[in-house]
Amino acid sequence: MTEQERFSPEAHRYLDGEGANGLDHAEREAADRLDRMLQDYAASLKAPGAEVDRAVMAAIAPETQRTSISIWSWLIQPHLFTVRPALVAAAAIALVAVGALTFDLTDFRGGIPDTTTLETPQTILVRFELRAPEAEDVTIAGSFNDWSPEEIRLAKNATTGVWTATVPLPPGEHQYLFVIDGSQWIPDPSAHAQVDDGFGQANSVIVVGPRGVVRS
Amino acid sequence: MRYTLPITAVAALLLGAPTPLAAQSQDVRAQLIERGAPTEFADQVAQIVSNARAEQLPTEPLVSKALEGWAKRARVPQARVIAVLNQSVERLRTGHEIGTAAGMNPPSGPVVAAAADALGRGLSREQVRSMMGEAAGPEAAATGLTVASALVAQGLDTEAAVRVVGDAFRDERPPEEILEFPSAVTGLRAQGQDMSEIARQIMQGGGLPSPTAPGMGGRGTRPQGVPGMTGAGQKKKKGNTGGQ
Repeated sequence: MTEQERFSPEAHRYLDGEGANGLDHAEREAADRLDRMLQDYAASLKAPGAEVDRAVMAAIAPETQRTSISIWSWLIQPHLFTVRPALVAAAAIALVAVGALTFDLTDFRGGIPDTTTLETPQTILVRFELRAPEAEDVTIAGSFNDWSPEEIRLAKNATTGVWTATVPLPPGEHQYLFVIDGSQWIPDPSAHAQVDDGFGQANSVIVVGPRGVVRS
Repeated sequence: MRYTLPITAVAALLLGAPTPLAAQSQDVRAQLIERGAPTEFADQVAQIVSNARAEQLPTEPLVSKALEGWAKRARVPQARVIAVLNQSVERLRTGHEIGTAAGMNPPSGPVVAAAADALGRGLSREQVRSMMGEAAGPEAAATGLTVASALVAQGLDTEAAVRVVGDAFRDERPPEEILEFPSAVTGLRAQGQDMSEIARQIMQGGGLPSPTAPGMGGRGTRPQGVPGMTGAGQKKKKGNTGGQ
């Protein structure tokens, strides 16, 4: 049994600050004793200091780090994707439909762009070829790759000795040379023309139209 | 179907779109040094490019020429590269003057660069100016000058080259179609015509046929599946555009 259960209604009113009318001496002493205990307990309480904040933050930080590590792990680890072919086909159709709405299909006729309505630069695939059966390595350097002789390497057909590469180029004039075995710079005999390079040699020239290049 | 892929690989595929081959940095000095050029040479080139930029001249032709000269260093002395760059600046300056005189204020970089090339291939100032004046706009002017230069390089005399491009301007043929002229000349040569016959045909108002018109020769390098040009779908064409 607690002291509260033993207190009379008069003692409750006394504890609530409403006076001690009708309260006997013993019960009043018990009520006063309880009141002092409560005041002593309240006095012992104090607000948490900065050390508590530090402790809380220290406990939170590793949790955040673990979350970011977990996201990174999810990103770099392989995941299994289950794909329904029908859904993929539907998604592809939807993408095409969106594309058709985005781009005016009237600009295209017969699969090729209408030359009068081209407004953005396009890229044309241009095939370069050189017959050099004795060569060990053939590259191409030109205005389209900052004259870097290592960037575009041609592939050799061992049977014919013909080296080829297909390069995406924007429409316009391009100058270039083949580089054989890293040291011998030679023109392309099938180019549109050969022009003085200003350094005492010649560069090959092609003019790429929106539909490609016709060579000799 | 089940595929196991790291998400990062998918992201890399999506973000790794092809980049243009000729994404030229303006920092020619850094490019030259990266390729092993001496600092003094790179500084000289950078100064020429910087001065040209200050004059509002296009710098891309200068950067390209400097990189070309350095790439050919085995047989091209550095002093020769500097001399060629200075000559190029002079031509660009002249091209800029002609463009301004033709009413382009200021002329665009591609027009100035194309004019400089045309002057270098032997077109006169008056021929360059008249082509700029006849063109429907800067893009057409740059394309016309580039094509006229190429036709001269192919062996046409400057008068015939200017004539064929000027006729195309008057016929309102679009720049994309004018770009096909060098391929058309190559096709005619593959048919057995020599340059004097081609020039005569042009000067008689015959123009140039489409390089992919029936009967044209030559070896195409079109992407697989792309049909040749037949003239269908070409707008703005009127009058005799020749040979078709």
